[in-house]
This record gives sequence, structure tokens and C-alpha cells, in this order.
Amino acid sequence: MAVNGVAVAFLGFLVLPSLIVVVISFGDSNQIVFPPKGFSFNLFRRLLAEEGWISSAWLSFRVALAASALALVLGVPAAYALSRGRFPGRRWLALFLLSPIMVPHVVIALALYVYFVELGLSNGMLRLVLAHGVATVPFVIVTANAGLRQIDPSLERVARVMGAGRFTVLRKVTLPLLKPAMVAGGLFAFLISFDEVVISLFVARAGYTTLPVKMFSSIQFEVSPVLAAISTMLTALSVAVCILAARLQPNAST
Amino acid sequence: MKSTLELQEQLRTASFALPAALFMAATFALPLAAVAWQSFLSADGAHLSGFAYGKMLSTPLFFLVTATTLQISFGAMCFSLLLAYPTAYFLSRQPPRRRAFLMVFVLVPFWTSILVKSFAFTILLGQSGVVNQLLAAVGLGPIKLLFNRFGVMVGMSHFLVPFMIFPILTSLLKQPPELAKAAAIMGAGKFRIFWKVTLPLSVPGVTAGCLLVFILSLGFYVVPALLGGRKDMMLANLVDFYTREAMVWPVASAIAVVLTTVAVAAALALSRVPGGSSLLAGEDD
Repeated sequence: MAVNGVAVAFLGFLVLPSLIVVVISFGDSNQIVFPPKGFSFNLFRRLLAEEGWISSAWLSFRVALAASALALVLGVPAAYALSRGRFPGRRWLALFLLSPIMVPHVVIALALYVYFVELGLSNGMLRLVLAHGVATVPFVIVTANAGLRQIDPSLERVARVMGAGRFTVLRKVTLPLLKPAMVAGGLFAFLISFDEVVISLFVARAGYTTLPVKMFSSIQFEVSPVLAAISTMLTALSVAVCILAARLQPNAST
Repeated sequence: MKSTLELQEQLRTASFALPAALFMAATFALPLAAVAWQSFLSADGAHLSGFAYGKMLSTPLFFLVTATTLQISFGAMCFSLLLAYPTAYFLSRQPPRRRAFLMVFVLVPFWTSILVKSFAFTILLGQSGVVNQLLAAVGLGPIKLLFNRFGVMVGMSHFLVPFMIFPILTSLLKQPPELAKAAAIMGAGKFRIFWKVTLPLSVPGVTAGCLLVFILSLGFYVVPALLGGRKDMMLANLVDFYTREAMVWPVASAIAVVLTTVAVAAALALSRVPGGSSLLAGEDD
């Protein structure tokens, strides 16, 4: 049928750009050519040799690790309160905690840029981690909330009836059952932080260039073929996170 | 007696959200409030004034960029809908296992870095890019596909299509298959079933998807900066210009206030569409 053909073409359109970049990244020349002439790891070798890429990636990795840890520590308890609590103002609290999703990143970026200057917060690492926390905490809350909803509350009630205290129930029943959702939420938070451009562009101080910020200026000014190698690695990271998350949550598709 | 105990229990559960609430108050609400405050300051930030809004409203650039932003956002929304509906329809007709496999084609681009995609499009659409090579092979001269409106539209739609597919697919999958069967028994052809049953019932999904995509596209920064020309500056790029180049923070703040107001208004509209609030927050339905 015609619709099927059109739909398959559109699905192709979605994956085609990434695929072409992956193919180019294994090309046997130091220029961007498609179709590539041969197969080599030249661009990956150049990536390792060129100044700045590895240190930027390492910074992004540390920031993403810290930001996702922060998002888990803050987001999981908040999701617990929102899904298990029946207190007044719960909906407003949920709206507040999730509101960064609705505000354009450039506005968050400007707000934190101005705010950090006013506060005199000059620690480059701390600025990035706090800023990425704003962007990632809501996602962990959403993921953990979805996970908590899949846990039968009667399991917790039974444990309480059998005499377990509140924290024992949390430690022995709720958290172990929530582990897959927490790992998935942490992975997504890591990926969001690792890919974040706009907020980092505003908030980062000199000497704290994250990988996406370096990529952004590289695409803007010189379009180095090394970008193909980096793109391939980033795509591999996304695919790995997707696969891991899908394995952890067999019931959730997104 | 029991009710005080219950209240205590509720407060104890509520207190779990305290660290996150404090964090959001300190690093999100307060900075946003500072931006709102700053938008009412004079150019040197010394005293209160309507300077920034006056400057914004008297600058043709602001209206030009606002018009561009609305045009691009609306265009990208329509373009994404055109791409997403047939894809979602096709996916909804597949058996569950094959659909799960095909969803990979939607989810991987969804999670791919926007920089990777933008870089890919500079390779695909460039003057001597893949598309122009193909065109040359069939004897058509190079066409300018990049650093103009076309480049922005392609780049943005590519990013936005998954956000459109999810709500439409959900609403299509929610339709009981008996409805289509009943219509078929009553003698309706395939096209008539789609036109009279499937399409009207998927309108909430389409509305939700359109609003979500519109909200997201309002704040686009990377794609217009990398794939657009001078005329394709969007409000986010203008905020950046006034923040980091012109360094007139009150004006940057005033534009940010306008941008946030429009985005939040659209988000509120979305929360009223069936299934819309789950797109924003995952709360309830």
C-alpha cells in the first residue's frame, strides 16, 4: 500500500542522517567524502590526537555523572512523595518540580548565567552540575514516578502490617522494586546532561568547555571531519542507553 | 486522633519532596524571578525602568525575529505532522512485535544528539553535499539547501517528528479495532473508514502533538544557528545575542520573559487536551 511505502521512507529519513555520518567516520581519507573511499580508523585516531576533544569529553562525562547522581538523589524521593502522598498541594508541587520541562532551555540558560554572576559562584564544575541538575531532575521524577506506579502499593501495605517500619519498607520493598526505573532514569539523565548544549554554552566558564559546546563551535566555524568520528561515538552512546533502558523496562516503550 | 496520625503520615511522605523543592527554588525559580526583575531595570541595571520593554518594542529586529520564530515554529509543526501521521498510522497497523522493532527507528533519532543531527545535515545538504551530488548525477545543478529557511525546516522537523509520532500513535492504538470492523461490515471502504472513524478519533493526539511540537520549536537555538542563514534567527538566538554579544541583559531578560510566557501559555493549553498533561509531565492521564 502507498501509505506503507511513504511511512517506511519517513522512518528511513529519521535514521538516514546518523547512518551517513557513521559511514563517513570510517572513511579512508581526512576529508568528508561520501561515499567514503575505503575503510580506516583515521578519523578516530585524529580525534585522539587533536587537542581538546578528549579533555572536553572527559569533562562532559564527569559533569553528566555528577548531574545524574544529583538528579537521582533529589528526583527519586520527590517522585515517591508525589506518587504515594495524598497531601494538599500535591498537584501544584508536581507542576513546580516538572516546570523546567516547559521553559525553553535558552531562558534557563540566561537565568542561571545572570544568577551565578550575582551570586559570585565561580566554580566552573559546580555551575555546570547545578545547571544540568535543573534540566535532569524533572526527567528522573517522571521516570521514577512511572516506575512507582507499576509497583503494587499493597506490597508496601503488607510489609507495614507485618510490622516493618517506614524506612524498612522503603529499603526492603520499594527501592529494590524501583531499581530498574531508577537505573533507566539515571541513564536518561546522564544522556541529557552529556548532550546539553545551550545551557552549557551560557553557564560554562573559560576552561570548562564540554564536548557539545566544543562540537557546536566546531560545526559553526570549521566543520572538521573529526566531527564524524565524535558523532559516531555519541550515536553509539545513545543506542547503548536506549538498549539498556529498554531491557530494564520491558513494559515502557519510551 | 486517627486523623492527626494520618496528617502526620501525609506530611512525612510530603517531606520526601523537600530537597528537590528546595533545589528547584534555589536554582530555577529564583533565577527566573531574577530574570523577570532584571527585565524591568535600566540599561546599566541601576534603577527600575521600562527601558527594556520600550527598547524591545521599538526595535524592528524584535518584531522581525518574533515573526520568523512563529513562521518557523508553525511551519515545522505542519511539516512534522505531515511526516508523523502516516508513520504513526503505519506503526499502529503493525503486529506488536514488529512495531516494537520499528520503534527503534523512531527512538534512536529521538535520543541522538541534536549536534550530531545538525552536523549530519551540513554533510547531506551542503553545496557539494550528498543530496547535491545526487542531483548533479541526474543533471540538475547545485541547489542552495543550507543556511536558509529550507535547512532550518528540515533540521527542526527531523528533531520534532518523534515528538509528534508518540501522541498520535498512542491515540491510534487506543481506538478499539471493533469500530473499524463495524464500519467495514456496514459497507464502508478503507478510505471512508479512515476519513470517518480513524482520523476524527485521533484528533486529540494530533492536537496534543502539534502543541507539544510548537512549544518545543519556540525555544530552538542550535538548528537556526547552525543550519539557518542570517534571516532565520529565532527568539532564542536573539536572547543569546543580547546576553553574550550586545550584553544588554535587561533586553535579553525582557525577550526571555515574552518567550517563556508564550511557551507556558501553550503548555497550559496542552494540559487541557486529553492525554496532553502526560506528555508534559507523566502525571495521571
